[in-house]
Amino acid sequence: MRFRLNFHLMAWAGFALMAGVAGLSQPAPAADEWPTREITFYVPYAPGGSTDPISRKYSELLEKQLKVKVIVENKPGASATIGTGAVIRAKPDGYTIGLGSSSSLAYQPLEMKGLAWKSADDYQSIAKLSDLPVILAVPAESRWKNLDEFLADAKANPRKLKVSVSGLRSVNDIAIQQLNKLSGLRIVTVPFTGGGGEATLAALGGRVDGTAGFAPGMKGQIDAGKLRVLAVFQDGKYDLLPDAKPIGETPWKDTFPVGYYVIAPNGLPKPILDKLLAVSKTIVESDEFKSFLKANGYTSDPKIGDDMKKELAGYDQKFREVVKFLDDDK
Amino acid sequence: MNSLQGLLYGLSIAATPGNLLAAFAGAFAGTAIGVLPGLGPVAGVALILPLTFSLDPTAGLIMMAGIFYGSMYGGSTTAILLNIPGESASVVTAIDGYQLAKKGRAGATLTIVAVGSFVGGTLAVIGVMMFSSLLAKVAILFGPAEFFALTAGGLIVMSRISGGTLASALLPMTLGLMLGTIGQEAVTGETRFTFGLPELAEGVSLVPVVVGLYGFAELMLLVEDRIHAANRPESVAMRDLLPTRTEWKRAVPSWLRGTFLGFLFGLVPGPAATLASFASYRLEKATSKHGSEIGSGAIEGVAGPEAANNSAATASLVPLLALGIPFTPIAALMISAMLVQGIQPGPLLITQHPEIFWGLIASAYIGNVMLLALNIPMVGVWVSLLRIPHYLFIPLLLVVSVIGTYSVRNSIFDVWVLLAAGVVGYAFNKMKFQLAPLVVGLILGPNIEKHFREALFLSQGDPWIYVESPIALTVWLLVALILIAGFIARRRAAFAGAMAQESSL
Repeated sequence: MRFRLNFHLMAWAGFALMAGVAGLSQPAPAADEWPTREITFYVPYAPGGSTDPISRKYSELLEKQLKVKVIVENKPGASATIGTGAVIRAKPDGYTIGLGSSSSLAYQPLEMKGLAWKSADDYQSIAKLSDLPVILAVPAESRWKNLDEFLADAKANPRKLKVSVSGLRSVNDIAIQQLNKLSGLRIVTVPFTGGGGEATLAALGGRVDGTAGFAPGMKGQIDAGKLRVLAVFQDGKYDLLPDAKPIGETPWKDTFPVGYYVIAPNGLPKPILDKLLAVSKTIVESDEFKSFLKANGYTSDPKIGDDMKKELAGYDQKFREVVKFLDDDK
Repeated sequence: MNSLQGLLYGLSIAATPGNLLAAFAGAFAGTAIGVLPGLGPVAGVALILPLTFSLDPTAGLIMMAGIFYGSMYGGSTTAILLNIPGESASVVTAIDGYQLAKKGRAGATLTIVAVGSFVGGTLAVIGVMMFSSLLAKVAILFGPAEFFALTAGGLIVMSRISGGTLASALLPMTLGLMLGTIGQEAVTGETRFTFGLPELAEGVSLVPVVVGLYGFAELMLLVEDRIHAANRPESVAMRDLLPTRTEWKRAVPSWLRGTFLGFLFGLVPGPAATLASFASYRLEKATSKHGSEIGSGAIEGVAGPEAANNSAATASLVPLLALGIPFTPIAALMISAMLVQGIQPGPLLITQHPEIFWGLIASAYIGNVMLLALNIPMVGVWVSLLRIPHYLFIPLLLVVSVIGTYSVRNSIFDVWVLLAAGVVGYAFNKMKFQLAPLVVGLILGPNIEKHFREALFLSQGDPWIYVESPIALTVWLLVALILIAGFIARRRAAFAGAMAQESSL
């Protein structure tokens, strides 16, 4: 008897599955009705870093604006080029959008060959979500009390001070290299994997002299007095960590934050593009989004469509110069 | 707040109707995710993550943790009944579990597993509660050199995990290591052996390989061998659902060893639950009184690993709660959930958000009791599934595995990997090669390489870093000791065998 019951259950489950599959293959409705079904938002990074929460916040608000479900899908790997490529190569129907960063959009095309994008012309810029400045922190028990002491020591001991970063040529690595380039210092970066967690751990365990990363993953340690923040790689004060000295107050102020952007494949129908730009503008300028950014240490800098594209084109040039410096310094 | 006050406070939070429901929903969903082959806990937690944003943060985290340890209860079910591991932490359970099921002890084995999971989970929560801040300090002591010693040493020790000849283990292990090099190199992001296929850039994923090697290969054997297919228990009497006195007795020390080992693995980065189950199996072989029976259906080979993977799943809360640093993909998702809700993870979590820390701890106690209550009555149902003719049940299960595998990354490529792994598994079975070393190689290979490279970056090329730290050196000495002891034991056995033969002449 029991066997019969289970068998029926399975038959029903199978039927439900087939019905589900059939439901996916409906004809596409016209562009001006967009959106009529769920939208997929690709995050080209694994959860746990600074990219996942901001993507989910944007998607949550997008869901409220458009009244359809927005599915956030993490597609990490190959320095974020897998997930970014998946968005850029997707069908331009407005149902696939995703997150891009200044690194994945402007830096990676310089390093990797064969990507689906070479410049900002190869994808549709939607909206800039935020900037996130790189911060430099040292273990609490270390001898450097402030940035000046750290840099003086770095000057006296070239290629001796080690700073952990989350991956070779990640934005925090590039920020340190830009400092090396402008200042003539030679701070060694030690790449770790695992989304910044292991880089932070290396500093906590005293295996490196400092760590360069982002506030969302490090603030807990700073608040607890395990790490001391020395610098923030931006022009002005960092509200979240007022003790950090802005790199803008040193002679080597030209630096890189990581920028987070929403992108879509090229060739979106006009009505869909216009609607997406308009709702994205509403979202990034909303108080709810801005207070989320502030609470988590992101810097609000709304740029929609072509304004965003211009910024990325500018990064492209700056990145080229750093790459040249690194190649010459080898 | 001391531990007892904290626990009482936590219980007052965890026992609210909403949080109880969250714990139950997580435990139930986790069991289902564990039972369904292909769908693992990471995919399950990722699926419900958006749901948690509309919940109270504590309830959301309780539910996510429930899925993780719940899946450790469910994962062994299909491994024992059909030799198809529900998720990667149940691979070793399939070895002895399936043999036990063939002997008609499926019900007893499932009961031992459920109770073992309960023991592992509950003891680990006590450990987390009492020592989390102390243990967090231990986690900081481990850097690339220490992790390299653990993973590379582990590979050597586990090379003969499932018995057989040395060659029958080393060849699959080498294949596993080679598969592990496919895709993006962890530190520099350079892609290797991908033949320009974007799907391969992320590497060969573990789930389709495991389900294919064991599940699809098993189906092919059944199709080929009708007699083999008929060799299943016709009816399972009520008393066969319960373990015998001897089985209980033999399981207890294995549970305790597995719990202890699993807890240690939960504290370090990597696929803790899976590694813990492998290591526990190896430990049972070495230390249990019935070690020689392991591989042919010994209860220790199931009890140890299943307690270990639950203990590891729970212990991985330590780096998450005490350091705010995620060591597992699931912990990373939980941190994401905290950040979206405006909670800063880190060492101050316990003082700033005691409701989350103690609520999670207390709910883990409750969740484990729920899981035990949920899983023991299910034993009868699972065993009765064996009465469904294999020709109906296994194809159905394989369809479910294909859907599960596809759903993890929405990747049809993974389905091809699943099928290819099935062919390899079938061929290896025929040629008497061991399968478990392949899985060990695939899991450990990328980790070994990553820590190897990180260590060299850290020392700026100086190889002494691998043995400089006391922890790394101790690990290497232990590995050497285990190898030498194994060698001597085998020589002795061979010598004794030769002597016996001689005297009988």
